[in-house]
Amino acid sequence: MGVVITIAVVAVLGLLAVWAYNKLVRLRNRVDEAYAQIDVQLKRRYDLVPNLVETVKGYAAHERQTLEAVTSARNAAAGASGVAQVAEANNQLTGALRGLFAVAEAYPQLRASENFLQLQEQLTTTENQIGFARQFYNDSVRALNTAVETFPLMLLAGLAKATRREYFEVADEAVREVPRVQF
Amino acid sequence: MFHDVQTANRWRSVLLLGFSFALLVGVGAAISYSFDAGFAGLLIAVVVAVTSTWSAYWNSDKVALRITGARQVDETTHPQLVNVVQEMRLASGLPMPKVAVIEDPAPNAFATGRDPDHATVAVTTGLLERMNREQLQGVLAHELAHVGNRDTLVATLAVTIAGTLTILCDLAWRMSAFGGSTSRRRSNDSGGQLQAILLVVAVVAIVLAPVAAQLLHAAVSRRREQLADATAVAYTRNPAGLRSALEVLQQDSTVVRHTSRATAHLWIESPLDRDRSMWNRLFDSHPPLAERIAVLQAMERTAPGAQTAAPPSVPPSASSAWPVV
Repeated sequence: MGVVITIAVVAVLGLLAVWAYNKLVRLRNRVDEAYAQIDVQLKRRYDLVPNLVETVKGYAAHERQTLEAVTSARNAAAGASGVAQVAEANNQLTGALRGLFAVAEAYPQLRASENFLQLQEQLTTTENQIGFARQFYNDSVRALNTAVETFPLMLLAGLAKATRREYFEVADEAVREVPRVQF
Repeated sequence: MFHDVQTANRWRSVLLLGFSFALLVGVGAAISYSFDAGFAGLLIAVVVAVTSTWSAYWNSDKVALRITGARQVDETTHPQLVNVVQEMRLASGLPMPKVAVIEDPAPNAFATGRDPDHATVAVTTGLLERMNREQLQGVLAHELAHVGNRDTLVATLAVTIAGTLTILCDLAWRMSAFGGSTSRRRSNDSGGQLQAILLVVAVVAIVLAPVAAQLLHAAVSRRREQLADATAVAYTRNPAGLRSALEVLQQDSTVVRHTSRATAHLWIESPLDRDRSMWNRLFDSHPPLAERIAVLQAMERTAPGAQTAAPPSVPPSASSAWPVV
């Protein structure tokens, strides 16, 4: 009788461990995938920016300061590493781009150009995609962080190589979406 | 929180399918009993049930797309549509679905496919004409919510099973009209009351089963619409987009051309011309738009960012420098 109970207990514990381990690995992979998605969108924006700068130059060459601000923000963002640094650099780039589009308002010919309109839709969607990918990433990070800090999943966190991750934070109040992640 | 809902939804889907399947087999048994077909009849019913479910699993999306006349598009022809789908699939963490457009002046949209890897999102040209970017985002978030909540599979499976039931029962009626049940009279002297009762039960089951299947499916489908609206807001974090999109649909009276009750549950808004009696409402695949709009308005009031003027999900539109194209 005692043997049966022991075997049953061990079996249940084993199943629990398998479940916990798999869940942690799933959460960890989801965070990695979510970050990769942000990364793709950020790279796409880095590629779009030089085109935009060239297009604007054709119509508003003397807005040098704004154009240079965008270019240097883009280069800084492309060279950044680590979640916090990349997030910060990209917030700068978002701000610089916003400034550029504000300047473009004053040039009706520029705003009417086919090329500029296309770039505008592309940058709008890229901006949104970064926002939504970030939203999903932060949700995934929150799920992972909760899992590795609460019982019983925390017991297996080391084995599953699941550790706390950083949020992709938005410093700029104007860019911040509805605060859904409670830090 | 939404993951819990998804898990619950998946369990409910399994239950619904199991129940429909049992209903199908039960009706098959009842029919074979009342016609003295015996075990062979039951076997046929099971085979019909399995094959129809199986073929629905693999082909339901293609059938739905063909019935509605949808044609697949990409970013070269419909850049904004594909961009917005891409935004919403990033928000949902789902793989990129196929995008299709239906030539139809009635604004509407639907999602289909057996799982997120084989999903298609389809919108009508009427929808593209009438919606701005923010509204389009709300509609596509709702469609991707159906994909994420695994509604598309269960909806198409359930409708196939309900359809098979209807055909089966119809067949039974025709057979009985041709005097199929006379065979049962042979055993009348020995069988007595029990057989008579069983026969009545079988007939009642045959009559009511398709109705029961329809009712069940409609009830489940209405709840899924509400859940999809809530999930859509979780994706966009912007109840206003979907709310104003539904208002556009409410004001519109065009009816989708290529449709039938069989595909009604697929669309974001019921594509059928509705007659608002209580009886018909029981069979509706969708809750009334006014109810859905009211729920979204309540969300807008309680949302943390409700006071800020800018729609939160479309950061660029927050400043005038980024026009919503």
